[in-house]
Amino acid sequence: MEREEVKQKISEKFGDRVRIAERSPKRVYVYAENDVWVDLAAFVFNDLDARFDTGAAVDDKDGVEVMFFFPFDAEHYYLTVKTFAKKPKPMLDSISNIIPGAKWIEREIFEMYEVTFRNHPDLRPVLRADTRPVDYYPAKREVKDEHETARKRDDGTERADEVAGKPLEGKNP
Amino acid sequence: MVKKVPIGPYHPILEEPEFFELHVDGERVIDIDITIGWSHRGIELLSEHKTWDQVPFLVERVCGICSASHPFAYVKAVDDLLGIEVPLRAQYIRVIVAELERIHSHLLWTGLAGHFIGYNTVFMWTWKYREPLLDVIEAITGNRNHYATYRVGGVRRDIPQEEIPNTLKMLDQLEKNNDMLTKAILDDPVIHARTKGIGVLPTDKCRLYGALGPTARAGGYNIDSRRDHPIDAYDKVDFNVIVCENGDVFDKAVVRQLENFESIKIIRQCLKQMEPGDICAEIHEIPPGEGIGVYEAPRGEVLHYVRSDGGNTPLRHKIRAPSFNNILTNEVSVPGSTIADAGLITAAVDPCYSCTERVGVVDRNDGGRWFLAEGDLIRLSQEKTEEIRKRFARGTEST
Repeated sequence: MEREEVKQKISEKFGDRVRIAERSPKRVYVYAENDVWVDLAAFVFNDLDARFDTGAAVDDKDGVEVMFFFPFDAEHYYLTVKTFAKKPKPMLDSISNIIPGAKWIEREIFEMYEVTFRNHPDLRPVLRADTRPVDYYPAKREVKDEHETARKRDDGTERADEVAGKPLEGKNP
Repeated sequence: MVKKVPIGPYHPILEEPEFFELHVDGERVIDIDITIGWSHRGIELLSEHKTWDQVPFLVERVCGICSASHPFAYVKAVDDLLGIEVPLRAQYIRVIVAELERIHSHLLWTGLAGHFIGYNTVFMWTWKYREPLLDVIEAITGNRNHYATYRVGGVRRDIPQEEIPNTLKMLDQLEKNNDMLTKAILDDPVIHARTKGIGVLPTDKCRLYGALGPTARAGGYNIDSRRDHPIDAYDKVDFNVIVCENGDVFDKAVVRQLENFESIKIIRQCLKQMEPGDICAEIHEIPPGEGIGVYEAPRGEVLHYVRSDGGNTPLRHKIRAPSFNNILTNEVSVPGSTIADAGLITAAVDPCYSCTERVGVVDRNDGGRWFLAEGDLIRLSQEKTEEIRKRFARGTEST
């Protein structure tokens, strides 16, 4: 399905609960509020017939940005569905019951960033060594902050805090 | 009577850590629980401590076989963030090295699968045919693996003109050898009996589980990011996407064998079309932003996602190797098979363990558990092949 048609259908169905941005003809980003996040992912996968690829997360001071990638292969572009799970207890609905292929990536995001996915069929850590403490989430900003070098660049300056979950100048949602 | 059979701690074919717990009733597998993460090395976090230009050296060590695919996807992610087109010659060199990698990866899998079902001649052939290919890769890049070719904006080194005749000569011989190997596999009634109808992954499940590469295409799921999301020189060359329909182990082997011919075709076109020119664009800094890079690795699509805050290192670098999606499909393809086939089915997705292995068997009736070592599984698999050979010899089975 072509980009314009996809953007229009998403806007019609979800209204102001989503924001859409296009960085290039091959990259469309849709930022969704938490409450419609799973409905949007299900709509893109089932109704718009996108392929499911995988997910990713980026940690920030205030929460965790979670995203899933949905390629439209015949039209040669990627649609990325994003949402922002707020701290201190980031929590989102799981899409694994709709897309079984998302089971492991949601488990990974949970064990790395402490994002809890409600209704996930089996939210055990997927990569963690048996010896790692249960409440240790290695990719969390707070964990990284404990290690001085992880927050600093080579020249000693601090990394920016304002990237994840926030609009990038003029382009991203 | 349902038992749990743990297979491992190393995968019988590929000798890397992964753990499968098979729930069995007699010889029949009825459920599978997969545990990955045995070689988790934290590469995504390591990447955040490398400069943009150092990351390709890191990510080509995600996997010893996909040491072109990961840096290719990474540099495409950064190219996407920057919104640049790399010089034409660099585009061709990137594709040539990546396609040479695909052929040696597919040959490696075919050899190991042959060994597992008791065809050690196939194993010897593929190793022999793969060697001149690795020599060419070494001549072009300096290494048999870990090519250090890819960099943001282009490639690190040119292909010397004097290496092109050698490469073409190697491709001619490789095409003949691959043709003979393909015919030998496709015409062998015992291989048919041993692999057809085994480990079936239907098209609808491919989509639901996000299956990728030959695992998906064998099941009729027609995806290939070289065609669907063409990068660099892929839209300038002509090639076919090999798709089968049954989704069994046999079709997965067929897809890989036939893809070798397509790769040879692509490399020849690139060598012919490539003209002298720059091999790298000048990049001064990476601005804040995000980029997605995808490349069709031998096992399926690799995805890299990068986020920049304008600094000299990635703020976030997500790597998704195809095995992460493909290994999960064993939940569909293994139940219903026998223990002797389970090792072959789990290996048919050509899992990359450094990108992820072990197996346990649990008896559902008495709750008993036992582990199968590498030798046990290979023995079980080869015994089954031998049994089929004998049935053919007695004339009690036909194709």
